[in-house]
Amino acid sequence: MRELAGYLPDIGETEFETKILTFQSKNETVEVEIPFLTTEQMDKVIEKVKKASAETLKSFSISEIVSIIDQAIDRLLDRDSLYRQKAEKLLPIVTGYDEEIIRLGLTSYLKTFRKKELQRFLIEDLGNPLLLDDFQPRVKGGFSKAMGPNVVTHIWSGNVPALPFWSLISGLLVKAGNIGKVPSTEPLFSGWFAHLLVEVEPRLADCLAVVWWKGGDEERESSIFEQSDVVVGYGGNESLQSLQNRMPVTTRFLPFGHKISFGVVSQASLDSRKTWQSVHQAALDVIRYDQQGCYSPHIFYVQHGGKVSPKEFARFLANELENFQKRHPRRELSMEESASMAAWRQREEMTIFSNPNNEVLGNQANDWTVVYEENNIHFTPSSLNRVIKVIAFETIEDILPYIAPHRSLLQTVGIAANPNELFEWAELLGKTGVTRITALGSMTSPEAGWHHDGRFNLLDLVNMVDIEAAAEESSEQFAPYVD
Amino acid sequence: MNQQQEIVQHVFRFIQADASEEKDFNELALRLYAYQYQYNLPYRSFCMQKGKTPRMVKTWKDIPPVPINAFKDATLSCIGPEKAEAVFMTSGTTKGIKGKHYHPTLQIYDQSMTLNFKKRFMRDIEHIRMGILFPKEKELPNSSLAHYLALAVKEFGTKESHYLVNENGVDMNRLLDELHHAEETGEPYALLGASYSFVHMLEELERMGKTFSLPKGSRILDTGGFKNQSKELELNEFYLLLSTTLGVERSECINMYGVTELSTQFYDKGNESVPSVKSGPHWIRTRVINPLTGEEVPKGERGVLVHCDLGNFNSVTTILTEDVGIELENGFFLLGRVQGTEAKGCSIAVEEFLKSASKGVSE
Amino acid sequence: MGKFQGKVVLVTGASRGIGASIARAFAAEEASVVVNYLQNKEAAEQVVASCLKLGGDAWAIQADVTSESAVQELIERVLLEMGKIDVVVNNAFTPYAFNPDERKLAWELKWEDYQNQIDGALRSTHYMCQTVLPFMKKQSQGSIINMISNLVERPIVPYHEYNTAKAALQGYSRNLAAELGPFGIRVNCVAPGLVYPTSASKYTKEEVKEMIIAQTPLRRIALPEDVAGPVLFLASDWSKFMTGQTLFVDGGFVM
Repeated sequence: MRELAGYLPDIGETEFETKILTFQSKNETVEVEIPFLTTEQMDKVIEKVKKASAETLKSFSISEIVSIIDQAIDRLLDRDSLYRQKAEKLLPIVTGYDEEIIRLGLTSYLKTFRKKELQRFLIEDLGNPLLLDDFQPRVKGGFSKAMGPNVVTHIWSGNVPALPFWSLISGLLVKAGNIGKVPSTEPLFSGWFAHLLVEVEPRLADCLAVVWWKGGDEERESSIFEQSDVVVGYGGNESLQSLQNRMPVTTRFLPFGHKISFGVVSQASLDSRKTWQSVHQAALDVIRYDQQGCYSPHIFYVQHGGKVSPKEFARFLANELENFQKRHPRRELSMEESASMAAWRQREEMTIFSNPNNEVLGNQANDWTVVYEENNIHFTPSSLNRVIKVIAFETIEDILPYIAPHRSLLQTVGIAANPNELFEWAELLGKTGVTRITALGSMTSPEAGWHHDGRFNLLDLVNMVDIEAAAEESSEQFAPYVD
Repeated sequence: MNQQQEIVQHVFRFIQADASEEKDFNELALRLYAYQYQYNLPYRSFCMQKGKTPRMVKTWKDIPPVPINAFKDATLSCIGPEKAEAVFMTSGTTKGIKGKHYHPTLQIYDQSMTLNFKKRFMRDIEHIRMGILFPKEKELPNSSLAHYLALAVKEFGTKESHYLVNENGVDMNRLLDELHHAEETGEPYALLGASYSFVHMLEELERMGKTFSLPKGSRILDTGGFKNQSKELELNEFYLLLSTTLGVERSECINMYGVTELSTQFYDKGNESVPSVKSGPHWIRTRVINPLTGEEVPKGERGVLVHCDLGNFNSVTTILTEDVGIELENGFFLLGRVQGTEAKGCSIAVEEFLKSASKGVSE
Repeated sequence: MGKFQGKVVLVTGASRGIGASIARAFAAEEASVVVNYLQNKEAAEQVVASCLKLGGDAWAIQADVTSESAVQELIERVLLEMGKIDVVVNNAFTPYAFNPDERKLAWELKWEDYQNQIDGALRSTHYMCQTVLPFMKKQSQGSIINMISNLVERPIVPYHEYNTAKAALQGYSRNLAAELGPFGIRVNCVAPGLVYPTSASKYTKEEVKEMIIAQTPLRRIALPEDVAGPVLFLASDWSKFMTGQTLFVDGGFVM
């Protein structure tokens, strides 16, 4: 099976070199063919996008843009539509994730880009979405308008499907031309989305491009960054650092590094009836995309003092993961991943000698691992792919000192706690650098309008143009109707 | 005679024999397992966690392998570590923690090394003039390789054998003297040492524009890979360069595969083609497993190597390496170390976390 | 490879009768079987010998399962020697003579008669389950099989105290199954009909046997080895999605 990836505006050329990426699952192979542009072609693409952005995209009203995105998302939510069917068929092969996980994940994720969510998104960041259309009066006096950049370049990474939508849709909402670079691990979905947008609104045809090049291609990247107003980069700190090193000082760089997330479970949720619910939700957060998301948990801190002990919580969680293995099996692991996971688990098993209260729970096939630790609070990442630690704690203050040193890496905390605890803990966790607090079971689906890594999705992209009150007043004296 | 002495005697006799039957190998492996289960307490708790008591372990293949990293975390020894005659340590790059392998006596290690070395490297000859591209045992008292090479010189080197490294690396003057001497006299010469030292030597010789044609019977033994200590050469290029620069057939360039955590080494029969087939003596057996299930992969498929070394009478016989290999009729292909993995998504991977934690990137 | 290779199976009251037959059946599938007995060491050792012959591993341990401390000691010894417990078959029960002619009538029973049987069936099982639970939870798996009787469903002979105790055990098992399911631990019952020959049924009259046979679709009385099959099934992965169930092994007498 061969699938064409990417999306290009019309630059008057039809001959492109392509690169073939091959993906294999148990019984199927997909070859993804993606255009690999020459530097000259790339320059033409950027030029085209820049022009279309200035001439076309900027002429749309924000409600028109919202409506276009809404229609495109609507089609992706329709399981009978072409691109949705492609996604359900090909993404499991490309990423290795369970088909059902992808299907359910897509729906819950795409839902957050419907019209009503986009509106919330806009109002969240801007207060008044009309700021994107026109100069709006400000409370302080004067007027402002949010001007989107001409070209935003997105460097996407990772294989969690549709994750690039956040930044691409943000770019569209601020009426920017968008150049997206897809990762080799999931090169398809953003290209399909681009095609779909253009099908919905043909006038967008030249306003975006989805391309591929090999990450770290310094010459190419430098040239593209030179021509971009904003670059949004995803990836590890090392690769972001190298992007930053090549970033002209005049280009705004918005890096989104890899993050680490965790859960905190209060004893309030650990009674005979509700424990299993918490466990079930926690397990869902673990199995969704096999913990590959930045919002996926590495550790659950579970409080002593409930009717169900943290140790029992770990054991409940173990069997929940076993059940999910049957319902939504884990992605096939490579030899390297398998070896590192096995080494990780065995090393944990070795530490039982010095910490006899610890437990390493797992099945024969190593489909998942739960490590329970007592009297030893710490903060270290899991080896992912359904490997989770349950660490017992007494009070939230016991945990904080271990988290605090990793401020810049923290993101989501999934919490099961009573209302008082929720706000108290949120305050304390927020101080250590956590930027998102959600319920267990929702860790992997941020809500519409969330502040990604604590930042503003749209505000960071735009420039505010102010007409100060002085200018307004002074203009009055030059008015033809002045008496 | 105490239990340890009895065990050592048993292992000694086993190694001394010419070959081993599956039954005898099994018997000794299980005896060592019961012994280690009793006296090596961290190992015992590890095995209990897996429900693998001596009663439940019926063949050597059931013995729970210890991940090589565990030598860093735990004291894996049947005797108090202070009673060890020798402690070999890994070079330890991660966080500076070294794996430690305790030897109550070197009797077995030395016996294992000499018998095997004689058969696989010396073969037809008793002694040979050696040049060693590695520091002396005195300088690296905890290096198993330093001990290994010292033993090679002592048992199989002529008295004119020399160490050819000094504090600045390869002692080129000395090396050139030795190579010229060999060429002039026609006396076979053996160069042994760390693979990366050979790379440094090759770079120097290339810079000097020198090549040699060592006499027939000369041979080379390299070990340990390049470990970021030198340029990473493709194996094929490495042996091609060695062979053309020194005039030694590639079939006489032997690679030794050994790790600090074992007491026995593997050798190939030269490196005419790479990867070469590695094999060990009758007291060590290797399985190639799927690391997830611990079960053997079908012959010919890639897996991770597990070695059961009966020479490891004091620590643990069976270790899980981080080396990828393929099982063959007469040994195995060693395909190198398992590479670290990055997270597939935007979650952080352990290695990146450690890196940023140590760099203080995360404040 | 045997179905139970590498698995540790504990059978209580395994020195004779149904228990011995279950132990041997597990051994034939290469299990490591703990043969628990109360008094008859010699008989238990014979069971062990036959288990070894069949290709499994076996180990006889004396323990009075109606004593909490004895049960704890038993489990401790098993874990030390074998490292884990995968399957427990609660088969031991207080001696009872199944003699329909001599049985006590309803108005003759004292509470102690009931208590005696409840202790044998329920209390012993409770001690055993409480003791193995922490380990089975840690393993995220385990199968507990409690032996009851088809008389709980159809008291063709109202052995009041025995049938009541076994019925209680069935209720106990179902509740346990409901609570332990989320830990991956399964609890099921096997309910044989009259099994002959066993020491308990040796006084059962031919006439009674004939009566039962006449009402049994498969037209005979159960042998001890007939019971082993369903027990092995419930212990194995073949029944991995079954818990809280009772399998009747009585030739269709109850349906």
